[in-house]
Amino acid sequence: MAVKNLPIVPSGDPGALVEAANYATWRIFRPVITESAKVNPIVTLYCPDGAITVDESGAEVNYKLCKGCGICAKESEGIQMVPEYTGPKGVF
Amino acid sequence: MNKVLITGSEAAALGAKLAKIEVLGYYPITPAFPAMERLSKYIEDGELNCKFIRVESDHSALASVLGGSLAGARSYTVTNSQGLLLMTEVVYHAAGLRQPIVMGVANRALSAPHSRFPEHGDAVSQGATGWIQLFSENNQDVLDNTIQAFRVAEELRTPVMVNYEGYLQSHTLEEVFVPDQGKVDAFLPLKRMPALDVTNPRGVNTVAGPDVYTDYKYIQNAAMEQALELIPKVAADYNREFGANSCGLIEGYMMDDAEHAIVAMGSIVGTARLLVDELRKQGKKIGLVKVKTWRPFPAQAVNQILKNVKYVTVLDKNIVFGVGGALATDIKANLYGQGSMVINGAILGLGGGKCGVKEIKEAVDHTESSENKNRSEWIGL
Repeated sequence: MAVKNLPIVPSGDPGALVEAANYATWRIFRPVITESAKVNPIVTLYCPDGAITVDESGAEVNYKLCKGCGICAKESEGIQMVPEYTGPKGVF
Repeated sequence: MNKVLITGSEAAALGAKLAKIEVLGYYPITPAFPAMERLSKYIEDGELNCKFIRVESDHSALASVLGGSLAGARSYTVTNSQGLLLMTEVVYHAAGLRQPIVMGVANRALSAPHSRFPEHGDAVSQGATGWIQLFSENNQDVLDNTIQAFRVAEELRTPVMVNYEGYLQSHTLEEVFVPDQGKVDAFLPLKRMPALDVTNPRGVNTVAGPDVYTDYKYIQNAAMEQALELIPKVAADYNREFGANSCGLIEGYMMDDAEHAIVAMGSIVGTARLLVDELRKQGKKIGLVKVKTWRPFPAQAVNQILKNVKYVTVLDKNIVFGVGGALATDIKANLYGQGSMVINGAILGLGGGKCGVKEIKEAVDHTESSENKNRSEWIGL
């Protein structure tokens, strides 16, 4: 067997883990921007994963990075946590 | 080259200064702290252009140094005992991420019970981490090993620990020859190998699945094996450039016709030399093997130098519980099937316990009178 050709420093593209985990299967609730204009830009600092951005064009959540912790929705208006799973009740 | 009277801590700091380190992460711990104090003074006085990162724990100290190294800076830290244990997680990270970090370790016994005295237990606890480990017999070794460590680390992209014993070396003055800065610059050209690039962001230490993890470890181990060839070459280069007398993997003393060999590493080597001189005067064919490079283990070199002896006494200032001394265990494992000599390990000098000429003599006598080849003898109970 030949040794595989690998980078000396074990590394990968950003978000490789997220891709591997098939886009955030760990999330039970997702933050949804309900009123972009009301979102307090401070949430960009509160977010542990750098998953939310707020600029002139409004607020946006990167669902590849978001773990669904809900801190942004707790700290700011204009964001609501909604269940990821919308199938029949009683599954969870 | 000039001659100065300095402690082992100052020798470590001077080595790092001559290597022109760029990042120093440090959390205070005894007896490693004087090395940091000296380095911080060099920085304050403008003699060293280095970013000194003060952190809240030893774990963070090595993590900050790892960050510096990933960004391509020549990075250094010092620690010992409990600090090294707290760092352990990052010790593995640094090796797996192949970062050429150099770390001074002022060896101190591990708690519990609490001890502030010299012993190799802390270094031995890190023997499987993938770091190259060099041991220093005296303060000259501390300086020489530190400078050579940067060269070895950067050529192999593998981190190196330079061990010197707490107090016995860290706080004891000895005469040390200091190489000229210009020559060190030529000996240690800075080759930047940044793993982080802001224009091309990537994640380091990403998940490696079962399909590639073994390959990563194979490649890492291959670098360690390469070190066995590189370390003697670097030492030879160093000796040629600086007129020094630094050994590579091991050094034999009075080994040409020796029937009995003492094998040791660290400061006890110097004490064992005195015993060998004394016994040689009485006509005893005894020699000494100094192990400078403990990881990777120089199996071939050790087997070669011990092939004709009848008795081997291995001195261990450490105990691997339920097994014996680490060095004795390595030597027995590597000599398997290679001869019929009696190999005895001696555990001595734990937590600052006595390990003078008398104690080493006791270990030597025990080896020649013992028929039991598989146990370690505890000296100085």
